[in-house]
Amino acid sequence: MQTVIKTEGLSKTYTNTAVPVHALKDISLEFKEGEFTAIVGPSGSGKTTFLNVIGGLDKPTKGKVVIDDVDIATMKESQLFDFRLRHIGFVFQAYNLIPVLTAIENVSFIMLLQKKPKKEMEARAREMLEQVGLSDKLHERPSRLSGGQQQRVAVARALASKPDFVLADEPTANLDTKSAFNLLDIMARLNKEENITLIFSTHDQRVIDRARRVITLVDGAVDKDEHIDKD
Amino acid sequence: MTTLMIISWRNIWRNRTRTLVIITALILGIMGGVFSAAMRLAAEEQQFEDTVENMISHIQIHHPEFIANPEAQYRIPDGEAIAGDIRGQNGIASVSARLVFDGMAASANMNAGVRIKGVDSEDEARTTKLDELLEEGSYFTEEWRLPSVIIGRALAKELLVETGSRIVLTFQDIDGGIVSSSFRVEALYAVTSRRFEERTVFVKAGVLQELAGEPGAVTEIAILLDDVDRYREATDELRAEYPGLEVRHWADMDPTLHYSLELLDQLLIYLVGIIILGVSFGLLNTILMSILERVRELGVLLSIGMKRLKVFFMVVVETTMIAILGGVAGLILSFFMIRFLNHRGVHIPGGEGLEDFGFAAVLYPDLPTSFYFEIGGVVILFAILASIYPAWKAIRLAPAEAVRQE
Repeated sequence: MQTVIKTEGLSKTYTNTAVPVHALKDISLEFKEGEFTAIVGPSGSGKTTFLNVIGGLDKPTKGKVVIDDVDIATMKESQLFDFRLRHIGFVFQAYNLIPVLTAIENVSFIMLLQKKPKKEMEARAREMLEQVGLSDKLHERPSRLSGGQQQRVAVARALASKPDFVLADEPTANLDTKSAFNLLDIMARLNKEENITLIFSTHDQRVIDRARRVITLVDGAVDKDEHIDKD
Repeated sequence: MTTLMIISWRNIWRNRTRTLVIITALILGIMGGVFSAAMRLAAEEQQFEDTVENMISHIQIHHPEFIANPEAQYRIPDGEAIAGDIRGQNGIASVSARLVFDGMAASANMNAGVRIKGVDSEDEARTTKLDELLEEGSYFTEEWRLPSVIIGRALAKELLVETGSRIVLTFQDIDGGIVSSSFRVEALYAVTSRRFEERTVFVKAGVLQELAGEPGAVTEIAILLDDVDRYREATDELRAEYPGLEVRHWADMDPTLHYSLELLDQLLIYLVGIIILGVSFGLLNTILMSILERVRELGVLLSIGMKRLKVFFMVVVETTMIAILGGVAGLILSFFMIRFLNHRGVHIPGGEGLEDFGFAAVLYPDLPTSFYFEIGGVVILFAILASIYPAWKAIRLAPAEAVRQE
């Protein structure tokens, strides 16, 4: 399988605090195409920082993040905007849909920024909303959807533009058990069907149970990296 | 682009009350600005028309000694010929050559000091519209045995006379001898300046010249220009042409009026400036609040790859949309307000007292259509300026932190 993301000696130190905080320490990892990975660890272990750095939202203090043979740590901000738009899907903890757009508009939004043709964009948005079981909610605004439904729209949005990988920061944290399982089923199916690489940061055992790889971070360093055979 | 516009449009209605409040503030601000401007313009036009066009004209020419001693001996040499030359020049609307000096007007009961102006009735009508200022009586058409005099309404009250009454005008002739002659009041004129009404009487030039002892004598040439804005250049040209004469424009002759008009202009600029600044800061505050409420959402937009320039543009568009809504509504309401007030007139409290100084008690505000477009443009320009700070705040957000903001 092809390597999608490779980190080499990745470190991140926050110096704008009273005492410098070493959020990531010398992390070298590889993520292969189609992997379903859970990044776990206690609060403050560096899970979110790791996702931010490999997602191009934050810059490492040291080390490389190689995606598609390019070290994104050396990219300029304007290049990173384009890079995120074309290569990465994001699912955030608090749904974070655009409240003034309907479900289908939210899902189309990234493709719109990518300047995809309107017909293709609409067809793909409909298809994704169907895949997450929301074909009857296309024209509803987020305020009229439940938390689980909003998170499913967020997943559809993240996957609609066919990114190289999806970063999900504790996506089930605000969901009840039924919605969480439902969402995980959808993501696992899409992971298989669309061969999309999924990387979760999570505390949630339900997510960990679904993952085929579990990386445990402790104090910013990799403590364990387990590959779990689900077959 | 269209989706950005849709997002911007929907964003401004997320907090309907707040948006309506700022739109109302914009409407009231624009109405205040338009009202002030229309009133200023009306006051300026009224004062200018009454004082300059009906009384002193754009430019006057005299013998240099005449200003200090308005006597018949200080005549303009070849006055009628000079008036004829000027009349033929480009940019001159009309010229009135007058014989003017100070004297006394007496009725059976009262007397008063007056300035007697001997005029050619047609030239004077063209230059000061004296024929249109008559409140009663006729304009130098009566064929009475006594010559006609047209006096101000206020002088008529002072002398206790009316049209048809006889009055005696007394003055010095060109040799300094005292001349008295009876005249019949043919008409009463009315202007906003009570002082002018009390002090100025008009008789036919020929009559006065004969009484003064020199047919064709001229002591004053009043000139009306086609374009009043050229008054300084036209004055300079006449000064160069007639170096031995005193050529003065309206601002020299009535500096108080000139400064009061300048002051009105300055006050209006300050007033409209303060209104626009106030409204702009209100708009800035509204948009800034809306940005601070949307930090997480903006973080998402930046995270998923929406470029900072687009986010900036979105905030500017939101502000501009509010400005357009408030601006258009404000200008439409202002237009109808001015139409209504122009029809009805605006009574100035205590305005009767100001009439002595040439101010009207009732103003009829009006504005050229172009002004509405200009003020609309200024409002939109300031809205865009007001949006820069909130838009800058929005694009300075760090996406990774913004998406986690509660």
